[in-house]
Amino acid sequence: MVETVADRTVDSRPRAAWHALRAEVASQPRALRLWFGLLTVLLLIGAVGAALSLPPGDEVFGTRPSFEWGLLIAAYVFFAVTTSGLCLASSLGTVFGMERFMPLEKRHAVLALLSLVTAFGIIALDLHWPIRLGFGAVLSPSPMSPMWWMGVLYAGYLVLLMTEVWSMFRGHERLHNVACTAASCMAILAPSTLGAVFGVLASRPYWHGSFTPPSLLAAALLSGISLLGIVFYCVHRFQLKGWERATSLAIPALRLLLTISLAVTILVAAWQILTTLYGSVPGLGDAMATLLVGPLAPWFWIGRVVIGIAIPLVLVLYRPTQTPIGLFAASILAFVGVLVDRVLFVDAGQIVSSSAASGVVSNPFNEYTPSLVEISILVGAFAFLAMGYTLAERFLDMSEHVGSHRPLLSGWGRHPHEPAAPGAATAEHGAAPLEHGAA
Amino acid sequence: MSVSRRRFLGTGLAACAGVAGAYALTSLLPTGAVGAAAAGDAAAAGDAAAATSPTPSAAPTYDPHAHSWAFLVNTTRCIGCGRCVDACKNENNVPDDPEYNRTWVELHVVENDGTVLVTSPDGGIHGFPPEPPELAASGATASQAYFVPRLCMQCDNPPCTSVCPVSATYKTPDGVVLVDQERCIGCGYCVLACPYGARYIVPSGGRMPTGQPGVVDKCTFCYHRITKGMRPACVEVCPVEARLIGDLDDPTDPVAVAIRTGRTSVMKPELGTKPRVHYVGIEGEVG
Repeated sequence: MVETVADRTVDSRPRAAWHALRAEVASQPRALRLWFGLLTVLLLIGAVGAALSLPPGDEVFGTRPSFEWGLLIAAYVFFAVTTSGLCLASSLGTVFGMERFMPLEKRHAVLALLSLVTAFGIIALDLHWPIRLGFGAVLSPSPMSPMWWMGVLYAGYLVLLMTEVWSMFRGHERLHNVACTAASCMAILAPSTLGAVFGVLASRPYWHGSFTPPSLLAAALLSGISLLGIVFYCVHRFQLKGWERATSLAIPALRLLLTISLAVTILVAAWQILTTLYGSVPGLGDAMATLLVGPLAPWFWIGRVVIGIAIPLVLVLYRPTQTPIGLFAASILAFVGVLVDRVLFVDAGQIVSSSAASGVVSNPFNEYTPSLVEISILVGAFAFLAMGYTLAERFLDMSEHVGSHRPLLSGWGRHPHEPAAPGAATAEHGAAPLEHGAA
Repeated sequence: MSVSRRRFLGTGLAACAGVAGAYALTSLLPTGAVGAAAAGDAAAAGDAAAATSPTPSAAPTYDPHAHSWAFLVNTTRCIGCGRCVDACKNENNVPDDPEYNRTWVELHVVENDGTVLVTSPDGGIHGFPPEPPELAASGATASQAYFVPRLCMQCDNPPCTSVCPVSATYKTPDGVVLVDQERCIGCGYCVLACPYGARYIVPSGGRMPTGQPGVVDKCTFCYHRITKGMRPACVEVCPVEARLIGDLDDPTDPVAVAIRTGRTSVMKPELGTKPRVHYVGIEGEVG
């Protein structure tokens, strides 16, 4: 069947579509083809893991009654908070009108949407009966449950992000501004409610308390900014659309944001540890001890502290490494650090036994090792995010049109008479965005 | 032709989605709630759902408002034979795997330096060795030792019910916490919220107390038995009467008297869960 889409004639018959796809792939640079090939393989691995996890009750995960939440919950939290961090970072430009943060807008929105869809996919695979959640949350709501609120807020967040992305690429400016502002508010509400899912559990001293929701916000900020750091380095490196603004504005802005979020993370982590060392809340000191000197210590000190915080901080503060590649390295390490942090967070909350059921001997640590199925789903999740974003970068117009954007809360960024940053003028009135380049 | 095919496919998919949705809706609602709602008694729907969950079936003449169940465990009597664990597994079709239990027995050994060693080999179903190997390995000597049978505490202020996002776990008017297996999504949140480790998600294959895998299971005081005037399976087989069930609404009931006169204690009272399972003879550190 031949249709006309966006003034182009498209033959949608399967054979024609297959030939068009082959031609499209063949026309891509070799590096891009390899990249797509790698992502396809990883996606297939994830799909196999996902298929194996579908039958309810099948013990394909490494979890057990004494350790009910595992890698997938950590991954869900990671992708969910990353979504919020992306919105928080971009809200400086989209909501508060700060000029130097405006280049983040389109890419953050696409990434945030993909990240949230990834998070939903992971949690659906972790639940034994995911379909019931959709009906049950509506037909038998439980407003006392933080998990119910988390579901409601993240569902609303998804709608807002879809609206934001749609209005952004369709040019509905007013709707876009409203969606941006609402999504930024949701970026604070949703992860803090996700933190409350853990924070209300008095049975798990490591998670319990009012400190958990804000600590998740700090994690959100760091992971979102690091992901933007990775993406904007790629924009700069491969000279994708709007790369001039990425180089002159986005990368320095992200370096500043990464420095701030690393400082906030250090502050939060330090106080979390210090307050735990005082007092004698049963189970709390034991859980922290597993992180500092126990079985989780290597992951904590190497993965979280050195790789996730210390090295990125040096890279963004040390003048010779204040380069795009320096930001890239710092962002990747910080991103990995947040993932490790989320896994440790989930583990430490359950590692101390709450009972001696099933042969557990006096005060041992509950054991959990992620299964291959869980790991493959996580791999597939990252591949999905990367594939989705690469396709968006390839087929959507990612160039920013700063002049047309009117944030609802403008006037926070600079004085009205202050001239715009030099890079902004270049991108706004300069040459058309470049075509995609190869590595 | 192609347009009509598209319409046909679209209409067909919509019809399939509608049927699937309707089926999912009916399977979500608990049996009692469906019946009550059909009778037009909306106010009774909640109580009916609570009293007649599809998991444990109560007798038709049973009035949940006329009872208030409580449980008494006398650790000074328990001999750690494990018959209660075995009886529970058989009565409720609990998985054979020792990791999954509705009830289990722990041996608490207090060493001379005050350290408490807790063991529960296979949930205690096969009894206990004369001396725990762990104690022999450490070379320590025991100053005190006792068995602690464990089960769901049926808390009056249960943390598991408030966290459930779909209201699948609830408290009956007679004080028992139940799970609606048709509504449970298997998220495991209640498993983590329980401070007593009394819940688990039913694995597929083998024995399934809930009839379907991937949903939460726990001790129900053998609700299907006590609502028919019988005692729970574990109480029935205990050779030394270390386990007793009683009705707090009956002032002459021995369990009610023991609890009322304050000769019992509960686990983790600091959490404010107000357990309905009371203990005689446990030390402060138990829980």
